[in-house]
Amino acid sequence: MDLSLWIPAVIYGFSVSGIFFLVSLGLSIGFGLMRVVNLEQMLYYTFSAYMTYTMVTLTGMFWLGLMCGVFLAAFLGFLVETQLLRRVYGKPMLFSMVVTFSFFLIGIGAIQYIWGLSPKPVSSPTQLMITIFGTQIPLYRLLIILTAGVVYVMIQLLLQKTILGKAIRAGIENPDNLQGLGININRIFTITFVIASALAGLGGALNAPLVMVGPYMGFDMLLYAFITVILGGLGSIKGTLISSLIIGQVISLGGTLWSPLAFVAPFVVMFLVILIRPTGLYGVKGIV
Amino acid sequence: MWKKAIDNLIPLFITLLIVILRFTFPNKLSFFTEVAIFSIYVMGNNILYGYIGLVSFGQPFYLGVGGYAVAIFLAYVGHSPIIALFLGILSGVVLGLVLGPSFIRLGSSYFALINAALCAIGVFIFERLLIDITRGNDGLWFRSRMTKLPLLDIRLPQNFFIFVVIIFFFVLLLYRYMDRSTLGTMFRSLKNNEEKLRFIGFDTFKVKWVGFTLASALSTFAGALYAINFGFVNPSLGENTRAVEVIVATLIGGSGTVYGPFFGALTFLGIKDIVSRLITRWELVVGILTIIVLFRFSKGIWGSIQQYIGVLREKLKLLG
Repeated sequence: MDLSLWIPAVIYGFSVSGIFFLVSLGLSIGFGLMRVVNLEQMLYYTFSAYMTYTMVTLTGMFWLGLMCGVFLAAFLGFLVETQLLRRVYGKPMLFSMVVTFSFFLIGIGAIQYIWGLSPKPVSSPTQLMITIFGTQIPLYRLLIILTAGVVYVMIQLLLQKTILGKAIRAGIENPDNLQGLGININRIFTITFVIASALAGLGGALNAPLVMVGPYMGFDMLLYAFITVILGGLGSIKGTLISSLIIGQVISLGGTLWSPLAFVAPFVVMFLVILIRPTGLYGVKGIV
Repeated sequence: MWKKAIDNLIPLFITLLIVILRFTFPNKLSFFTEVAIFSIYVMGNNILYGYIGLVSFGQPFYLGVGGYAVAIFLAYVGHSPIIALFLGILSGVVLGLVLGPSFIRLGSSYFALINAALCAIGVFIFERLLIDITRGNDGLWFRSRMTKLPLLDIRLPQNFFIFVVIIFFFVLLLYRYMDRSTLGTMFRSLKNNEEKLRFIGFDTFKVKWVGFTLASALSTFAGALYAINFGFVNPSLGENTRAVEVIVATLIGGSGTVYGPFFGALTFLGIKDIVSRLITRWELVVGILTIIVLFRFSKGIWGSIQQYIGVLREKLKLLG
């Protein structure tokens, strides 16, 4: 066991987990609360990454780009929820998935129109390396892990301590009863959706320096988001966290062992779990 | 009696239509060959989407498997296209039987997502993992190794068109037979009320399994035909970005109908042919098209025709 190889691998894994957690939360909550698999979630991820790219090339300030990206993602999420998804609620799952997937394609087309086909590089805000246990780790990776951790804590606080959070949790349990209590469920939907898309945007902006920003980056991420939510179970925040931790480590450690494993191993893990538990690790029971 | 006779002749009419169209537009030969193949592909997806009520974003994977089954056989093992085609169908049946039990148990949303994931891993396998066999992105070429059939040299495009049209006709007949059989009825009732079907005493798991296997066999068959048509395969056949195309074609034609897939394939490929000449952003158009069809034209072409005929018949009855 060569520690100088494995410690960075574990930390890289955690940073990958952080990104996966941020981007797949929307997919999971959207399903739990609205019973819609919103596949267009990755659009906010891509748009935000592009926004970051534009701001970085214009001003050179990464954190400003990140904020703009998150705002753009939240705004797009607001538009899509109020204009498009409202028409889809209550329709069969079949219908809503095809609608959101085609909307995803429209978005990709729009991105190609605005920013062109060629991939864009975004420079990392900090090149600083930090020494942990005698190995060099980029500070940026640690920042991602920290951000994801803070987001998780804040979401837990929101859900456990505020009235809004309680309403969201109640909505996941039973939307009809929530409406029966006189709570405007559409408003809850919009707020949740905007938060989720802002988080996807945050994931996109954070991931922009690590990958090339291209029109199809959302497609690549969508597959990992699928794996994360399937493994964790649709509709569960805890499940999303745990499965993103697992998948991140599987990718990073698997890739260190044998490079094709980085791609294949997450799928294998997901298939195995699905074979035993068809609703994932923490899936919401009773709905499919 | 007339009604029944016309009803029985519709597959023949449709096959004649495609032949007539091919001779009306003589320089569009490859387009109509593709329409016939794509129709078979759409029929496969129609079983899932229209009959059983499952959506899969991973249909290109099955297409790719069929294509590679043919390509690997023809490039390394044998020379006969017929055996290759049978292998293509067989690969789909095996795939359906093996993957079925684990996939069918999943809910519809998980089913869609896991198929999309499968499609991505499929591209990876074709492109990188089996690069020594599939030659990655360069594609696997085998046209020169194909022998001609006893009656028809299908290496020539015009002869291959005849071959595909004959296959298309028989597939359409079988599809129609399936639609009228108990199996077709069970598929439809599965979509409407699965619990009731189970209550009557049918094993819904087995029904879904059969449906899934049929769908994957049709898709791999279409993939096999594609491969022979092009004379080579590369991983782009199984690309997941194209997953929505077959769904749009199913919707345009009319999901859950027997002849819908043909009209869907014809219309979709026609639109694609025209649009791709005008603009290059194909995704944008597919997406907008899907949303329009879903919200405004949910019955599809054949569904609308059926409705129109129904209304017409009622009117005739009223007239006496």
